[in-house]
Amino acid sequence: MNSLDLLLLLTTLTTLLALLMGRWRPVGWLLTLLYALQLALLADLGLTLQGGGQVVSQLQLTLLGYPIGLVLDGFGWLFAAITLLIALFSSWFGSGAWSAERSDRRAQHLTLSLNVTAMLLLLASGDLLTLFITWELVSWSGFALMAYAGGRAADAALRYLIYAIAGAMALLAALLLVEQQGGSFQFAAVATAVTTLDSAGLWLLLLLFFTGFGVKMALLPFHLWQAEAYALTPGPGAAFLGAISSRMGLFALMLVVVKLIGLEHLAALAIPYTFLDAQSLLAWIAAFTIIIPTFIALTQSDARRLLAWHGIGQTGYMVLGIVIGTELGVAGGLLHVFNYATYQAALFLSVSAVIYRTGTADLDRLGGLITRMPLAYVTMLMGIIGLAGLPPMNGFVSKWMVYKALLDNGQPLLFVAAIIGTLGTILSVYKLIHNTFLGQLRAEHQAVREVPWSMSVPMLALAAIGFITGWMPGLALSAIDVAQQALGIATLPHHLGGFSLSNGNLDMLWVVGALLASIGIGALIFFAGNRRHLTHQLDNYAGGHFLSSSHRYHYSHNFYAGLMHLIGPWYRGTFRWLEQALINSVEVGGNAALGLFRNSAMLLYMVAALTLALWLLL
Amino acid sequence: MKLLSELLLMPLIAFGVGLLLVLMMRKVRARVERRIGPPLLQPLYDILKLYGKKTQISHGVMHDISVMMLLGGVICVTLFLPVPGMSGLSDRGDIITLMYLMMVPSLGMALGVGQCANPNGSIGISRALTAMAGYEVPFVIAVAGVAIAYGTTDLAQIAAAQQGGVMQWGLFQQPLLAIAGLIAIHAMLGKEPFEIYVAPAEIATGPMVEMSGKYMGTLFTMMSFQLYSVGLIYTLLFLGGGESWLLLLPKLFAVVFVSVAVTNIFPRHRTEKVIGFMWKWPTGIALLGLGLVMLR
Repeated sequence: MNSLDLLLLLTTLTTLLALLMGRWRPVGWLLTLLYALQLALLADLGLTLQGGGQVVSQLQLTLLGYPIGLVLDGFGWLFAAITLLIALFSSWFGSGAWSAERSDRRAQHLTLSLNVTAMLLLLASGDLLTLFITWELVSWSGFALMAYAGGRAADAALRYLIYAIAGAMALLAALLLVEQQGGSFQFAAVATAVTTLDSAGLWLLLLLFFTGFGVKMALLPFHLWQAEAYALTPGPGAAFLGAISSRMGLFALMLVVVKLIGLEHLAALAIPYTFLDAQSLLAWIAAFTIIIPTFIALTQSDARRLLAWHGIGQTGYMVLGIVIGTELGVAGGLLHVFNYATYQAALFLSVSAVIYRTGTADLDRLGGLITRMPLAYVTMLMGIIGLAGLPPMNGFVSKWMVYKALLDNGQPLLFVAAIIGTLGTILSVYKLIHNTFLGQLRAEHQAVREVPWSMSVPMLALAAIGFITGWMPGLALSAIDVAQQALGIATLPHHLGGFSLSNGNLDMLWVVGALLASIGIGALIFFAGNRRHLTHQLDNYAGGHFLSSSHRYHYSHNFYAGLMHLIGPWYRGTFRWLEQALINSVEVGGNAALGLFRNSAMLLYMVAALTLALWLLL
Repeated sequence: MKLLSELLLMPLIAFGVGLLLVLMMRKVRARVERRIGPPLLQPLYDILKLYGKKTQISHGVMHDISVMMLLGGVICVTLFLPVPGMSGLSDRGDIITLMYLMMVPSLGMALGVGQCANPNGSIGISRALTAMAGYEVPFVIAVAGVAIAYGTTDLAQIAAAQQGGVMQWGLFQQPLLAIAGLIAIHAMLGKEPFEIYVAPAEIATGPMVEMSGKYMGTLFTMMSFQLYSVGLIYTLLFLGGGESWLLLLPKLFAVVFVSVAVTNIFPRHRTEKVIGFMWKWPTGIALLGLGLVMLR
């Protein structure tokens, strides 16, 4: 029994505990402790994985004559560590007051722990068959987490399920192709298949893998299901799903494309009659995955949907960095997985805190909560600075690495596309914080209080992690090194504050230090001025009239009216139209088949079958 | 120790030069309107007066912090801009870092204005951010073109690569990018026809509407820093920077002069016109310029 077995046993026990004792009120705290324990075990495991090592589980089985087993290397370890970190804080948030009055406590704890278990198994899969089985486990446990609230959440979860099943079929087909060419389901068989397949076959294999894994990541054109499904999941579940769940797709795609097939094979696959090859095609898909969902997020009027759409957009940065394939790009993409998880979870938790107190996440029905919920405000502020990718938060560091890798690699158009996505993000996150916390306080929210400590501590802790790893990115980059070694990509030399490159450096110790010191100077100058007079939040006037809370003057609805005047008509809903067209054609085909077999030509078939049988007999 | 003295000196120089740039702006406007214009120290007097005023209305803690963030952000930007004899922190953060640092004061202002809960202020911020989405696109393309052309994102290295005669300047090496960049920084400074977010007759000066006393004074200070930083970035990117202050300052004043001179002859665009213009003309020119750089 080695430490990987112990970890997997512990995570299974966590699920069992949630199943058996989920109704008991303090069980959430116990589960949170167990997640912390697993995280500690995993951190210990990380020491043995440095330098490209791996841990093989002693549990080895045979399925249909194929050996299957569990192996954890540094690459899976990085994702597992992020998963457990987010599970820890999500579970913490949902342990105290959040779940105290909820009747679906058991479902909440059970689905979360089930997801963690399935994900850890996926990350430790040692061959393609295990990958497929655990992939299905992840999909179904994700469905359970999305659906347990019922109602519209269940509808959205069902939509996800249809996408996931389609993806799983594509994945299954890819595996069969690999088995046929390579002779087994071992990872090495992919490399054999790549050498024996001709270019059409390799395109097919890539397309099948891309469909299978892209659905989970909600890469274009499979992005429609995700925002709705994540947004309607209750509180901590949404934070967990939004922060890490779809990264499983990224893990699997990277495993296959970068580690097994190799980016050089993608670069060699040219698309006829264009300048593109498979690698740059994937990069452009990533770039459009940044831009389109981000600008859809800009039009959302529900805080959770807005965040979930940004989650899809942020995936694009990770894929973009990784597909570039340089040390800086891959490190930036992987670092963004971690950074994104911290601030996205913090943002979802702060929105959940607002929902807990006010009962709504509708951006047209909130406002002015800064004086009532200052801690949730601070969390959201740090979260949006990370999401927008501004210093001093960690989101800036990983985005900087992706930008820099794109420029160094001679890809200015992709760079510009990535920045356009960031601009859309800045607009949309300001709308989020303005409509929720700034502006006019509504009359019905005047008695709102801060959420209890059991909820505010985990979200503040996530924001603090985001700040610290932004100030000292070297801390997180050391973990990225372990993953890069496992992928067989050269590691990037770095120090605690960032990088020393020959053509443009980044030292966050100095950047953040200078920013904080300058703000300190700004504060000194501010206090040197004459004494200020603090007015009450509700003491306001406009146009010479005093305003009371009976007047709704919070400028929130259609916040970017001027911009929407120009770009509003660009939202054509093409992908939704395509989805509907697909649904309709399946329906038409189904009805036609039904009509043919059941209703109209029954007699004709019987005569035809009889004739055929007679002909065969004679 | 040298670094520390540089870090103290650079913002002070920036402030001094920035005040002169503000003075130039006001003088130019006055001459266009056939007035004499303010005396030399008027910009400084204005700021001191505002800090000392008796009426200082604060709308909450975020309002105060936003003013500190705003001033801190613009001071911080100057530390990353290499000037003759002083490189400051420019080797610890490149042009990409700088572009993002320049958004920190804007974010600070946006948060503070948000807490003031004045709808005119919020509309102003909405317009300011919309304008930003407009002008940043050509600016970013111009920066990307320059970075590709010189193979570096380090501002000091970009300036150094343009030494050796006027024809080596980015203005003549990448003229299309330089034109697009000039239009973009004009909008970045919020001058007519792009001053949609101030719009005094329409939304009562937008973000400034609830700013009084030292809050307003900080905005004045921010403007002088901003004129300096934006002008200097353009000088470093396209005019070869400067080996000495005597060479640098005329370029800096010339860049800002172009902007403040043409602003007086324009009325104000509507919001969607601004962004439509920005995404059409400067972006198109910049993309052409970028194409030329990539072909080379």
